[in-house]
Amino acid sequence: MMLYLTTFPYQESSCIMGRRDVQIHFLTLLVLYFSVMEERNSTEETPRNNALAQRRSKSYRQSMRSCVEATHLAYTSGLLTALRIPRSRKAPKSCDITKQVDPDQVALLVKKEWQLSYVTPLYQFRHTQLKSYSKQLSAFMVSEKQQGLAIEVGQELGFKVNFSVVLGLAETDKDAETVFIQILSKQVFSAKDDAPKVVWSGWLTCVNGDLDYLRSLPLEFVSLPLFCTRGPESLTVLVKSWFENIFDCCFGPLDINSTNLQWLASLWTGCHPTINIQYLKLVWTLPTLPPMDVTYTVHPQDAWELWDSMRQVDTTEDSISIDEVTGFIKGLQSHFFRHFRIDLSAGSLMQISTALGSSHHSGKIKIASPNYIPTILQLLTECALLKMPI
Amino acid sequence: MSLLKPFSRLTGLNTANILLVENEEQFQQKLADTVVLQEKTVNVNVLARSLPLPMENEESRPRIDLVVFIIHLTSELSFQSAETSLKYLDPGYFQGKVCFLVTSARNVSVPPERLVSVRTLAASLHCPLLCAEDQTTEGVTTAAHRLLAILKVAAGLVPMATSLYLSTLTRCTVPSDIDQQNFE
Repeated sequence: MMLYLTTFPYQESSCIMGRRDVQIHFLTLLVLYFSVMEERNSTEETPRNNALAQRRSKSYRQSMRSCVEATHLAYTSGLLTALRIPRSRKAPKSCDITKQVDPDQVALLVKKEWQLSYVTPLYQFRHTQLKSYSKQLSAFMVSEKQQGLAIEVGQELGFKVNFSVVLGLAETDKDAETVFIQILSKQVFSAKDDAPKVVWSGWLTCVNGDLDYLRSLPLEFVSLPLFCTRGPESLTVLVKSWFENIFDCCFGPLDINSTNLQWLASLWTGCHPTINIQYLKLVWTLPTLPPMDVTYTVHPQDAWELWDSMRQVDTTEDSISIDEVTGFIKGLQSHFFRHFRIDLSAGSLMQISTALGSSHHSGKIKIASPNYIPTILQLLTECALLKMPI
Repeated sequence: MSLLKPFSRLTGLNTANILLVENEEQFQQKLADTVVLQEKTVNVNVLARSLPLPMENEESRPRIDLVVFIIHLTSELSFQSAETSLKYLDPGYFQGKVCFLVTSARNVSVPPERLVSVRTLAASLHCPLLCAEDQTTEGVTTAAHRLLAILKVAAGLVPMATSLYLSTLTRCTVPSDIDQQNFE
């Protein structure tokens, strides 16, 4: 078995604690199944319908508190319904999304890194008035830029904003259609006839949102909980403040916690037979002094075999349960421990990436392949709905 | 297998002993110092990384009145090590002499499933679950104050209160899974 281990020299003299980067590439993983089979826990059948949790029969303790999964200090459950964290998901199917969505618009969404935030429901947002929204937003941005700042000649010759609808991403009737926003402006040294370039883009979407929640919203509100942005932070702040003023909503950062990163890793690994993921890279941060980052790259075939051995329920069943996901990650961690005596569960998972996409803990996502967009967006929509304070 | 037994030794006069079990060994020292400073009758603190305690000083070890498991929610390992340490406690401890202390419960990066699993564990063992904040001195002082309240009862220093009685009031419960609108 070939191992490449590179460590960077740690500078003792500097007073700033540097980070040690340890990159380990495994080309082959041997004798992995046996260790994995010992650790396998029994999985019970989890309900396929992940929107409803098991209902207990009449309990004598009638309390107004919502169910345990959603009452946490970082998540507040909605006043209208209690949201539950799903314990199982449908296996992603490769679908040719170009059948539903215009391929040009799909090209706008993939292969770019997006920063995620959540949005509370928008009041009186009409999909029919997108043109007037474009005009209002461009006027707002021009006025904000001119207000109080030193005049920069040439750069802001005026912003042109484009609101457009991306039809076809919404999965159920209750999902609102995705709205795509682009901000174009002329560059400083462009020739007269040059088309303005896109300086900022963003989109609001809701894919397969929780049906109980969406049904319980009053009629004037449109829920598009996931907001993805790409571009300078100053423009993002302006767009958010415009939305907050017009539609009375709130924005907030959406972090992807380690459980959701593990879901993404397993879902992408599960796609390996249909489309080669080329590598599975996981990055952990360990709380040592100085903090150590571990990059763990796994050969795709080995990752897939490990994942397949975790799916001991017959693979004709569609749903993947959280136990299989945690078992998969535990298998990877125990293999690492056997070789390096470093227990990765003492740290936190920061980033995962495959050829199909990558995702970072701070809320960045990049989808490289258009085939699995609905599954990824559904997961992210759930995160956004859970994170929202209402 | 050496179980830690609650009543295998005689008590001392006006003393109370607390065992702080923590895998990372960061918070226990600060907490121990603060507890000793706050109250004069607490003589001895025992710190451990995980159970079982080593056999060497078994004879010199005093009777332990309260066992506190400190779990940092930011790492999975912390919870697992606490779970495995539970096996080394005599069942007599679970009548009010065990407490769970959880840190960084408010941290956004912590997956909520971990807090749920700690709660279910604490509820199944009928133990109290305290949340503490270990980064500031006020947080450490508050946590020490709360532990001291439970410790004094567990050591028998509070008249008319026993640890079993207190545990029925302070133990952790997990609300059952009822749909809010479903009031059948």
